[in-house]
Amino acid sequence: MADTLLTGESKAGDWRSYERVILPPVKDLHQIDVYEQNGGYSALKAVVRDGKFDPKGLTDEVKASGLRGRGGAGFSTGLKWSFMPPVDPEKPRYLACNGDESEPGTFKDRQIFEYNPHLMIEGIALACYAMTIKTCYLYIRGEYWEYVDHVQKAVNDAYAKGYLGKNILGTDFSTDLVVQAGAGAYICGEETSLLNSVEGKRAYPRIKPPFPAQKGLWSMPTTINNVETLADVPLIVNRGASWFAGIGSEKHPGPVLYGISGHVNRPGVYEYPTGMKITDLLEVAGGARGGKKIKAVIPGGSSTPPLRWETAVDCTMDAETLREAGSSMGTAGLAFLDETVDMVSWTRRIAHFYHHESCGQCTPCRDGTGWMEKLLARIDSGEGYTRDLDLLLDLCDQMEGRTVCALADAAAWPVRWGIKRFRDEFEAKCKATSFQGADLATAGDGASGTPALVDGDKTLTPGGTP
Amino acid sequence: MPTLTIDGKTYEFEPGDKVLQFCLDHGVEVPHFCYHPALSVPANCRQCLVKAGTPMMDRETREPVLDDDGNPKINYFPKLMPSCALDATEGMVVHTQQDSEEVAEAQADNLEIMLVNHPLDCPICDQAGQCPLQIQAYKYGPEGSRFEFEKVHKPKRIQLGPNVVLDAERCINCTRCTRFTAEVTETHQLTIINRGDKNHPMTAPGETFDDAYSMCTTDICPVGALTEDYFRFKARVWEMSKTPSVSDFGGKGINVDLWVRNNEVLRITPRENLEVNEYWMPDAARLVYSTYNENRASGPMVAGRPTDWDAAFDAAADALRQSGAVLVFGSAFGTVEDNYLLGKLAAAVGAETPRYIARHDEGSGDGWLISDDPAPNTQGVERLGFSAVDAAMIGAQVEAADTVVVFQDDPVAAGVLDAAALEGKTVILFPTHTTNETLPLADVVLPVAMSVETIGTFVNEDGRAQMLRPAKMIRTANRSLMMSMGVGQGRPDRVGTPFDRWHDESKKVDCQPGWASIPAIAERLGRPMHYKTPRAVMAEAAEGHAALAGATHEAMGLLGVALETEAEPA
Ligand SMILES: Cc1cc2nc3c(=O)[nH]c(=O)nc-3n(C[C@H](O)[C@H](O)[C@H](O)COP(=O)(O)O)c2cc1C
Ligand code: SF4
Ligand code: SF4
Ligand code: SF4
Ligand code: FES
Repeated sequence: MADTLLTGESKAGDWRSYERVILPPVKDLHQIDVYEQNGGYSALKAVVRDGKFDPKGLTDEVKASGLRGRGGAGFSTGLKWSFMPPVDPEKPRYLACNGDESEPGTFKDRQIFEYNPHLMIEGIALACYAMTIKTCYLYIRGEYWEYVDHVQKAVNDAYAKGYLGKNILGTDFSTDLVVQAGAGAYICGEETSLLNSVEGKRAYPRIKPPFPAQKGLWSMPTTINNVETLADVPLIVNRGASWFAGIGSEKHPGPVLYGISGHVNRPGVYEYPTGMKITDLLEVAGGARGGKKIKAVIPGGSSTPPLRWETAVDCTMDAETLREAGSSMGTAGLAFLDETVDMVSWTRRIAHFYHHESCGQCTPCRDGTGWMEKLLARIDSGEGYTRDLDLLLDLCDQMEGRTVCALADAAAWPVRWGIKRFRDEFEAKCKATSFQGADLATAGDGASGTPALVDGDKTLTPGGTP
Repeated sequence: MPTLTIDGKTYEFEPGDKVLQFCLDHGVEVPHFCYHPALSVPANCRQCLVKAGTPMMDRETREPVLDDDGNPKINYFPKLMPSCALDATEGMVVHTQQDSEEVAEAQADNLEIMLVNHPLDCPICDQAGQCPLQIQAYKYGPEGSRFEFEKVHKPKRIQLGPNVVLDAERCINCTRCTRFTAEVTETHQLTIINRGDKNHPMTAPGETFDDAYSMCTTDICPVGALTEDYFRFKARVWEMSKTPSVSDFGGKGINVDLWVRNNEVLRITPRENLEVNEYWMPDAARLVYSTYNENRASGPMVAGRPTDWDAAFDAAADALRQSGAVLVFGSAFGTVEDNYLLGKLAAAVGAETPRYIARHDEGSGDGWLISDDPAPNTQGVERLGFSAVDAAMIGAQVEAADTVVVFQDDPVAAGVLDAAALEGKTVILFPTHTTNETLPLADVVLPVAMSVETIGTFVNEDGRAQMLRPAKMIRTANRSLMMSMGVGQGRPDRVGTPFDRWHDESKKVDCQPGWASIPAIAERLGRPMHYKTPRAVMAEAAEGHAALAGATHEAMGLLGVALETEAEPA
């Protein structure tokens, strides 16, 4: 294997002849009979009725497929399932399917809701079987109210046909699926926050440990999976773990929905193998709008660090490669930013989002996100100082890894890497810091060698506003 | 027992201990805000971060891996850990801010961010001087702030309920208050509303925070966000002295701190006693604070005219000496000591053991800290062998008496006696308030000190003997009271706070504790009672009554002592 994964070589194989499996081109697939005519619910039948796998066998199969969560963290799904404690007949266990999809740049789960909801429902039933779960909550982003109705209808049809509810397919396996509309905040998508929200509480994330597999919904063992993750499960059952593992990148395999937005000619959701070259995805999306040059790519939703185009051209879309490049796969929601984009304004807008969405539970995130936005707004309006950049980097240090959930990290990364990777643009918008060391923080990679005492005739005090 | 190491020192711990509580219990200070021992642990303030690790274990041998010096190698957690939520485990190594630069910096960072939108109202904030945020920012915070913007503004005065006011800007969102209503009183009256730096606690729309314990949230609020409506802007904390004592509100014997300035009780807060009230007290028990200051019976009277104490004692002694039958009322509001001496006085004049007016009213309490018994010392008098007044017999008993002694009670208001029944009798009354309805019928009036002005013992309804300490001065200088207040024989203005005006006679009530006034009468009857202090009175009472065995002031200390024997049915 090469020393570096940043080779620019696609790991997606012959992607041009790739045939879609999550969102196949079948008209009216959301209707249960159309879904059935196209092999729908055969995985459920094979497993639950015909005994293709017992619960542990199914978990092992999913583990073997290499499926990693599509909700952002990219954790091995089979491994996550295996964390559920042994079945205790006294204790209910739950599955929560995370359809809160609110990360800017992420709009793939809605495609599943709209075009192939039964694939997800079948996946949910299979996951419940694998973990011996009798109730699943499907948490759909509140703003997707049309999909709430649409998916509820699909769920009703699945119940009517005996794919959900009591004695599924005439066996003694039973599981219920409850569709719940989200409470209307980004934070509801954080898994433990989602649990509180399902319980009817304020969507504050919980501290871990205890992990949801030990104490989740109503303190009972619970697994949380993303919509797309669960939609992959029937495919794995039908075609086998090795089929799945053979698609795309070796360590991060499978089909994946890329949500492409930004300055491209045909933004949208595209299904391809993992490991696609970012440049190929640009081509898929019709190339850069107006023939402009792309300057940055956000590979996986707004929280993933932006990549300079020079780096992105060598990247493929898989966790390992993107980590090496200094970003992450996230939700595979790519945003292409062309040369017209002011990276300061962009970063400010992202910071605004995280400030607005911080649940406010913990100090560094509650008040740090607001401070960040204020600093960025000042710089963006041309009133900032170069020392503000160092302060921002310092604030990232003060927020990252010190909070209850990862929202604070999600807020800090775009700022940290925006400044690190586009510092020239930021500095161009800053007034020179009045004198070296004006920042209270020691100027590590900071104070930009500006002459002492400039900035007109204002009196200057260290660390204070002139 | 398993051990852990904190800042290089090794301690034994019980499995299940959390690191923060363990540190606090062992004198290692770690700054914190959201953690409260009686509530769940959300770890949201992020102030208590420590560096922690566990010994690296060899996978095969399951033995700790040792470094070159033979010490176990430590696997540190990749992030700093909130110690409030961190379980102590065998061999764990913890570094607090005392020991680790990294931790000290992280804590200072957190305080910097916490203060970013904090209004810093300290000059006018009721919490100032006892504010954990102020104190911890001073000790562990950064030297300055790098925040150069307008702060987020929030409502400054939200009347959450009749007794609690919220200043939302000062709130640090620790959720102690909401957890209190969710977990302790289970009224769920408070929740956090809004998001991010705009959030603060609130009631549901149209709802009032009228939880009977609402003011407990002001005690646990680590900042000046929640304040008691009755106490807002009344005093700076350092202007008041704070005396640990026991509330006379009901039979629970709630442990309190009495906050006094210029001889007025301005505020009452609960004092931790895990055996009695834990950390809590009902609002009603605080709002009695004014009863210690207002409408107080002050100065003795004979035949409706003010007089001096000697003349009043003479008059009382004369009446008792000349009287045929004497009927004595003890009091479930009085201390064990006073009632004990009253019993001795009764015996000296040939009267029966005193009776007391029982106040217990089944179902009137809340099953928790509001007792069915509004009197604080029913058990105390019962254990002295006093029996409750029997409504069917009391008429005849009064009828038969020439002189009626009423100690610290109000039989008229209680509906036990009326003017007609007392017609022609000599009434010696020890009132606390001018509103006492028996007062107009009294011939000799000897105002008695209240629980906040005396030394003495209450036995609560669960049989726990607890000691009262004087928080405010009475007009008569009394050596025992002085000693107990720490004045000794020096000048009273040397104690208390520099802001107290001890010489302000107008705020001192001219009353005497029963253990001073009752012996003064006994002395005149030729039956002197030689006690140097109430402590000696209690020691004798405990010696003489099995039901009070062990109830000495020494044993009671600050937290009281559980008495073993049941009160004997008298
Ligand atoms: C602030 C925040 C928001 C999140 N929002 C979502 C979301 O909208 N949808 C989602 O599937 N996962 C979201 N996640 C990730 C979930 O916490 C969780 O990792 C995921 O649902 C697990 O599913 P997976 O293993 O199938 O990926 C979010 C995480 C954070 C920290
Ligand atoms: S990090 Fe932010 S969003 Fe997450 S719990 Fe803390 S305040 Fe809430
Ligand atoms: S809460 Fe504390 S720090 Fe805040 S204004 Fe009041 S005294 Fe000052
Ligand atoms: S009002 Fe006080 S107790 Fe309640 S959340 Fe705010 S700081 Fe905490
Ligand atoms: S006390 Fe530990 S996080 Fe607040």
